[in-house]
Amino acid sequence: MDDKSFAYRAKKASGIAMMLAFLAFAVLPILWVLILSLRPATALFEPIWESPTNLTFDNFRGIADSGFPRALLNSFLTAGIATILSMIVGVPAAFALAKSRLRGKFVASWVLLLLRMAPPVGFVIPLFLIYINAGLIDTYPGLIMAYMTLTLPLVVWSMWTTFAQIPNELIESALMDGASLAKALVLVVIPAARPGVVAAAILGFLIAWNDFFFALIITRGSTVTAPVSIMNFISSDSVDWGSIAVAAICVTLPIIPVMVIANRYIVQSLSGAVKG
Amino acid sequence: MGQITLREVRKSFGATEVIPPLSLEIEDGEFVVFVGPSGCGKSTLLRMIAGLEDISGGQILIDGKDASALPPARRGLAMVFQSYALYPHMTVAKNIAFPLRMAGMPAEEQDRLVENAARVLNLTDYLDRRPGQLSGGQRQRVAIGRAIVRKPEAFLFDEPLSNLDAALRVNMRLEITELHAKLESTMIYVTHDQVEAMTMADKIVILHAGRIEQVGTPLDLYHNPRNLFVAGFIGSPKMNFISGAPAAAYGAHTIGVRPEHLDVSTEAGLWQGRVTVAEHLGSDTFLHVQTDHGQLNARLQGDIDVYHGDTVWLTPNEAIMHRFDADGLTMK
Ligand SMILES: Nc1ncnc2c1ncn2[C@@H]1O[C@H](COP(=O)(O)OP(=O)(O)O)[C@@H](O)[C@H]1O
Ligand SMILES: [Mg+2]
Repeated sequence: MDDKSFAYRAKKASGIAMMLAFLAFAVLPILWVLILSLRPATALFEPIWESPTNLTFDNFRGIADSGFPRALLNSFLTAGIATILSMIVGVPAAFALAKSRLRGKFVASWVLLLLRMAPPVGFVIPLFLIYINAGLIDTYPGLIMAYMTLTLPLVVWSMWTTFAQIPNELIESALMDGASLAKALVLVVIPAARPGVVAAAILGFLIAWNDFFFALIITRGSTVTAPVSIMNFISSDSVDWGSIAVAAICVTLPIIPVMVIANRYIVQSLSGAVKG
Repeated sequence: MGQITLREVRKSFGATEVIPPLSLEIEDGEFVVFVGPSGCGKSTLLRMIAGLEDISGGQILIDGKDASALPPARRGLAMVFQSYALYPHMTVAKNIAFPLRMAGMPAEEQDRLVENAARVLNLTDYLDRRPGQLSGGQRQRVAIGRAIVRKPEAFLFDEPLSNLDAALRVNMRLEITELHAKLESTMIYVTHDQVEAMTMADKIVILHAGRIEQVGTPLDLYHNPRNLFVAGFIGSPKMNFISGAPAAAYGAHTIGVRPEHLDVSTEAGLWQGRVTVAEHLGSDTFLHVQTDHGQLNARLQGDIDVYHGDTVWLTPNEAIMHRFDADGLTMK
């Protein structure tokens, strides 16, 4: 009786209303993009209720024939390779930083934080000049290395905190059992920290996948990534909104399953789920 | 073989010296207990032997060979940690097999040894579980299983029972003692609990601020403590200490009398006092008595008719009284 009081119901109702409002705020743009992608160019700016059946797959066909699929593949490859390389280098580095009794570790933590916080603009000009001289403009290695300036600090930083939560005794136990440090890392520490490892890899992939700025500066033709390629649908006198909508869907769709899988791990790793 | 020799080993963390130069001989097959108050350096010393902690000086010999610089994996020792340190993502069977896998043993051979160890430790029904699905006592047994499968030179235990409840602790204490009798291998066991030390050890090493206060068999330490610290540390309830005039009467700076060595009378005796608490356990009676020389504890066999508020007389048994000089050392 008391817990179903008016105040309780009012609180609950306002809570639900707020969630609905937020949901609409988050979902409406997606719906809009979906509708846009299915409308012929002639009907783009008509309200949907005036010609609800005027739908077409032309936009999808058009994009299949453009350079966009290639750009999507570029995005996937460069973000993927940058993430893998960052994990290969960053995970052992984070392990060393988290568990060794190095002096001056705090210096490393400051540098990493700085790298994480600094806006990419800060790196782009020097990077661009170096790349021009090194012939790395419009190359995959160039783009991958640029992405690693984003992904590597992220991986090291987040794995550092993850590994710090792994009890030392777990590692020492592996060493006593005859494992080398490398084996202890691969066979014991990484599996025990799996949620954190998966979360780091996915977050790393996503920041590279979502990058626009580096790709805009570094890529020209063959290595253009999806976010940059979308710009090709904007010309000086018209904007191909239908194609942009399809491209937006193509950039978003692949990461939905990734996020669904990742969600579990990210929540686990944020709540520090590594127990002995 | 599992003979371990410490020669003048030292350990400093930065400027703080945790273990001043220390020497110790551990015989093959011996059950040695390092005991001392919390923070006295027991774990550090054990970890130095294990190779998990670098030594700042001195030498560690295992079976006569210098092991000071060997990594933990190459010392042939197994360790059971206070937190058990089981691998959370592996089943019990995989946990126990891990050292065998590291040694590159064929899979069938691993399975056979794991099954043996599981049988010895009553873990057969749990082999497919994860550590998270086990009780504290079962986890402890898995940790022990993981230590025994590969037949190490010696076992190192760091307060393995302190996370268990009292009843389970007594059980595991017996299991470990039986295991030692069965395996006949060297065991070094760290604890802050003198009862564990007294009940399990062949040889007790009493540590205090990183120094060895005394080494000996449990009864040797009980009967012949070298100084005040050892006298007060070994035995439960604690030994009574009296300084001043009553001690001077026996020609000592301080005298020590164990509670079980005090005669209690309701009529006459040396020191008069009033009973503040009487604990009747049936088998024993513990009396806490307020006297002119401070609070004294007495332990009597059986049940006696003395209660709170009663006046009693306590008389020390002079033949088994401990005498200490001004430096706290036992007088001969
Ligand atoms: N890694 C370390 N750095 C600095 N001091 C330490 C470290 N490990 C232990 N100590 C210090 O060494 C002393 C002994 O510790 P420890 O061996 O763990 O004691 P115990 O196991 O007897 O309780 C303590 O004073 C502790 O603070
Ligand atoms: Mg300790």
